[in-house]
Amino acid sequence: MKDFEYFAPKTVEESLSLLSQYKGDAKIIAGGQSMLVVMRQGLLAPEYVIDIKNLPGLDYITYDEKEGLKIGALTTHRAIEKSPIIQKHFKVLGEMETALATIQTRNWGTIGGNLCHGDPAGDPALVLIVLNANLKVKSLSGERIVAMEKFSKDMLEVDLGPDEILVEVQVPVPRPRTGTAHEKLMMMHGDSGIVGAAVSVTLGPGDGVCEDARIAISNVATIPWRAREAEKVLIGKTINDALWIEAGQAASEGVEPTEDVHASVEYRKEMVKVFVKRAGRKALERAKQG
Amino acid sequence: MLMEGKITLKAPIQKVWDTLLDPKTLLSCIPGAEKIERIDERTYDCVVKQKVGPISVKFKFKSTLTKVEPPTHLEVEGEGEDIAKAGHFVQKSVVDLRETSSGEVEVHYKTDATVVGKLAMFGDRIMKAKAKKVEEEFTGALQEKLKSAI
Repeated sequence: MKDFEYFAPKTVEESLSLLSQYKGDAKIIAGGQSMLVVMRQGLLAPEYVIDIKNLPGLDYITYDEKEGLKIGALTTHRAIEKSPIIQKHFKVLGEMETALATIQTRNWGTIGGNLCHGDPAGDPALVLIVLNANLKVKSLSGERIVAMEKFSKDMLEVDLGPDEILVEVQVPVPRPRTGTAHEKLMMMHGDSGIVGAAVSVTLGPGDGVCEDARIAISNVATIPWRAREAEKVLIGKTINDALWIEAGQAASEGVEPTEDVHASVEYRKEMVKVFVKRAGRKALERAKQG
Repeated sequence: MLMEGKITLKAPIQKVWDTLLDPKTLLSCIPGAEKIERIDERTYDCVVKQKVGPISVKFKFKSTLTKVEPPTHLEVEGEGEDIAKAGHFVQKSVVDLRETSSGEVEVHYKTDATVVGKLAMFGDRIMKAKAKKVEEEFTGALQEKLKSAI
């Protein structure tokens, strides 16, 4: 690994000053569970590493009926998984975190670090997209809010300037009769998903007709991929198994995965069908329960 | 890694052929190309930089035209490595040009690239996604170039 200069600033402001000083030559490390791997492999060699893992004030989970859920960017995966707030109001986030990676990675890696790494195989982005989440980003010149869905730009590239830090994940309170689920194909529990799907379904009052649906799929494009055609199949209809098959088909037709040692293009496309259906059924059950 | 495709260009076949073999065209059409120089009749010296998020690689390689049958058939072989030693690669391409009845030129291309080293071991997934994009950008830029050249 190439030598680099290491900084451990004590405040967000200090971190932002360092970033604005070194611009593109500096990389933020916020747990390092993704970044250190790439550095060890010799693919990434930043001149300056700014370690924000121990910054105070960015490790929190709060919830209220008006503002919704707020997660500080430096909250660890394990803290989210174990949070009573998450378990009560956003069960899907806890489930996703449990299967995210090994316990060591979950203990040290942060939600912000994961999102900023911008890996299309990552799980949190998927679930946050279907939950309609926003991200709060800060720089010396101020703050801005970006929709999770718009945050991913390309493979390992996110909408984050060289002088910006992600500070908060904001999830609105879901509408009544909304159910959300996430499922992924993995060799072993905690592996990165060969294909993953997150589905959110909102049913209308009384009749059970699907009012809104959001579907996002991992590892089939250069960014977490929103399956809008599949959503259209569901919206306005009473969902049954045949409709899930149709939605899975629509999603599968839209994706452009690449092959790797884990799966061929054909296999990934087939698994998109399976996992849209699997996560979809679960989301629907939850929506029916309120 | 196999890349295959077809583009249709509205231009005379000779024009397409000349444009394809012109280092200046290649330099402006290949995304990330920093240097493409003709060393002799059949050999090009190239430097192409690619960036995926925070990861960047710079390939230095030689491309040799192994079979040239103007203006319809071209075979190219290339070999080179990343200057930071992240990977070594060899590449073989076959390009066929065909005039259609409607006065257009169909260009079929087939490229087989093999990468070894760290980049292949760790960056396989990333590389493949990028290759697809580079291919799209290149063919898009070439179309534009030909349109403006006519």
